[in-house]
Amino acid sequence: MSTFREHKSIVDRAAADRVRHKKKIEKAIKESIKDVIADESIIGQNGKKKIRIPVKGIKEYRFIYGNNEKNQQVGSGGNHNVRRGQKVSKKRVEKSRGDQAGNEGGEEKYEVEITLEELAEYLFSDLELPELEKKKFRYLSEEAFRRKGYRFEGIRPRLSKKETLKRKIKRKKRAIAAGSYNPDENERFPFHKNDLKYHYMKPTPKETTAAVVFFTMDVSGSMTTEKKYIARSYFFLLYQFLRHKYDKIEVVFISHTVNAKRVSEDEFFQRISVGGTMMSSALELELEIIDKEYHPDSWNIYTFYAGDGENWPDDNEKAINLLNVLKENNQMVIYTEINEKRVHPEEDGDVENWASPSFEAWKEEQADTIWTLCFPLINNTFKRVLLTKADQIWFTFKKIFGAKE
Amino acid sequence: MTGWTIGELGAWDDKICEIGRNFGLNWYDIDYEIIDYHEMISAMSYTGLPTHYRHWSFGKAYERTHTLYNAGMSGLPYEMIINSDPSISYLMAENQMYVHILTMSHCLGHSDFFKNNRMFSNTSPELVIAKFKAAAKYIKDLIEDPSVGIEEVEAIIDACHAIKYQVPRYPGIKRSSHKQLKQLYAEKILNDEVGEYDEFNLHKIPLERDYNILAFIIEHSRSLNEWQRNLISIVEESSHYFIPQALTKIMNEGWAVLMHEKIVKELNLPDKYYVPFIKLHNQVVRPHLGRVNPYHLGYNIFKKIEERGGFDACLLAREVHNDITFLRNYLDEEMCNDLNLFSYSYKKSKDYVSVDETSDNEGWEKVRDSLIKSIGLNSIPVIYVEEMYKDHTLVLRHEHDGRDLDIPYARKVYDYIRDLWGDEVQLFTILEGELWEF
Repeated sequence: MSTFREHKSIVDRAAADRVRHKKKIEKAIKESIKDVIADESIIGQNGKKKIRIPVKGIKEYRFIYGNNEKNQQVGSGGNHNVRRGQKVSKKRVEKSRGDQAGNEGGEEKYEVEITLEELAEYLFSDLELPELEKKKFRYLSEEAFRRKGYRFEGIRPRLSKKETLKRKIKRKKRAIAAGSYNPDENERFPFHKNDLKYHYMKPTPKETTAAVVFFTMDVSGSMTTEKKYIARSYFFLLYQFLRHKYDKIEVVFISHTVNAKRVSEDEFFQRISVGGTMMSSALELELEIIDKEYHPDSWNIYTFYAGDGENWPDDNEKAINLLNVLKENNQMVIYTEINEKRVHPEEDGDVENWASPSFEAWKEEQADTIWTLCFPLINNTFKRVLLTKADQIWFTFKKIFGAKE
Repeated sequence: MTGWTIGELGAWDDKICEIGRNFGLNWYDIDYEIIDYHEMISAMSYTGLPTHYRHWSFGKAYERTHTLYNAGMSGLPYEMIINSDPSISYLMAENQMYVHILTMSHCLGHSDFFKNNRMFSNTSPELVIAKFKAAAKYIKDLIEDPSVGIEEVEAIIDACHAIKYQVPRYPGIKRSSHKQLKQLYAEKILNDEVGEYDEFNLHKIPLERDYNILAFIIEHSRSLNEWQRNLISIVEESSHYFIPQALTKIMNEGWAVLMHEKIVKELNLPDKYYVPFIKLHNQVVRPHLGRVNPYHLGYNIFKKIEERGGFDACLLAREVHNDITFLRNYLDEEMCNDLNLFSYSYKKSKDYVSVDETSDNEGWEKVRDSLIKSIGLNSIPVIYVEEMYKDHTLVLRHEHDGRDLDIPYARKVYDYIRDLWGDEVQLFTILEGELWEF
């Protein structure tokens, strides 16, 4: 006899094991991040947006047979005419034989759903921001107003009903003791102006770190869609990183051709312009904005510049001088050149080699480009970065911010 | 639930059981649990065992199964049954009646197989659930024990899982301890009149090749404490539970498909059930291009057996065979050809996969032999304990049959074994004709 039972489970028995597994794949996620950030759909989205990222499975190692001619597999040919020697697959034989006991090798891939915020967590949990010198900065946030004691003067919304009532009761008792008021006579004992007490809101300055980020980009005709796409991914990552590290962060977008303009994020990435390139215009505008709005004593300032390296030669000297000024009051200035014509050195080279163009590129190079002219500026607060392809972004990023592997 | 009641399930089940009995089936009672999609995925992830111990790999299995179904790569799950007495099976609430009819008929076949096939004769199905429950509790307590904790528990289980199939492949043979073997051989030497044992070294450990690496480690490692030994023993015991199933995957599924087809035919289903049933049935038994679908292969062989010897021949075959003997006995040229089976392998020199043999007059036997070599436990390399030196170095050897190991994988497993063993480990295999040592 069979029995039937509706199973009503209270607990999700797999929950704990899924959490453990998730922990293990977090590492795998970090390894997949390179692919994810090259995916345009995540850029400019808000942090709650969920994305699905493919993750290589956590392998469970067993003894398995390798790929060799003696390790033959058998399959059905269906209606196909199968001949000896026929090439059936370009790839190697899948080690995974799904439903057979134990032999689970091969590449397992599946998707994990995470929010952009979680992605940023993964991205940056092992990175440290350099030059995190705490500026003497006081930023008064909402929460920084704390209730502290009482005052006799204040505004209605801060009236403390409890304290006011307490004072009234005290006064009443005193009046009874003094005989000036008889509670049995059914007479009202009204509030008096002197009873009123108010909460005092003390503006306790909570020390926070704040940062302003200048995303500055050359939008002249020579910046192709492909280059802008790289810049966008790159800026996205920089923004996420800083947002993750600072309590408060403001972003200023400046785009420029021969003239610079402060724009919104959307305009920044969409603006299509024709014309030449004068980098100094953008740097001048930035200094102006810093002067008016973001005093270096109060703000950690970051400047991320991206361009294709083609600046009007006459403007170079001025631009370099301005970079030098910016360097002095910035936490970090990164000059990024997105230039697919250069040959990117091996990715495992050290920073110095990696940041310079290859010898081939060097030969063609004119001495008076921004790239070469800014070389003397390089130190802890000034970096120059070369990007030739989108998939270098993550690697570049880690190099700049000194990731611990 | 989609358009059916438990009462209806019971009514159909009564008919199914009656037909099953008429066919001469003899099964354990089946307890059906009606569960939702997520519970079904859970059940599948823990290989159906309602009381399996916890480990992250089951969490992984969950995500993977869920991803597969989510991506629409498989239809809805419908079948899951456990070799216990009574058998436990799951019906997914979201499935429709005709799926349940198929599932219940199918499960009857499986349960009958568990009860009658020789490979399962020592599995003590009445104890399965209790045994796994006790193990699960033991592991849960260790995880919650502040002096042990999840990291240490996982370290042991991860390592054990890497060699969980390195156990003897014939079910039901009890392992002798070193002490017992020593006594056995001492007696043999004592009674040895023809000098057969003159050269026998009674001081060697082990005295015979030991194919049970986990058990050997439990017995001889000098670095494990009690709870660690117990954990290893839990994994080792659960392997024994899965061995008979791994040995009979093709037969077991083939038999269950054959039976559900026969039972449903007798049920005289109304068209609204019968038409979708046939569609699902065809889906289950379709050949998988380039692979072997055990449902398809097993079902076709049983059909052939019935064609040639009647249903009684099927009943006998389901009792006495395992997949290896089953294929050797019944998979002949005609069937190989009908199924269009072919063998293939990766050609290193050309860096692609190509066909080796097809099922024609010259090739079918080779195809069959390759198939037998690649199914179930035969797809897992055999590694045995050759010797333990005085300094406790453990010597393992791969029983090389022409197929080389995957070296990167073997390297990882080697590391796991060393972690468990606690002393030096040597592992020997043959790679491209040369001796290879880890």
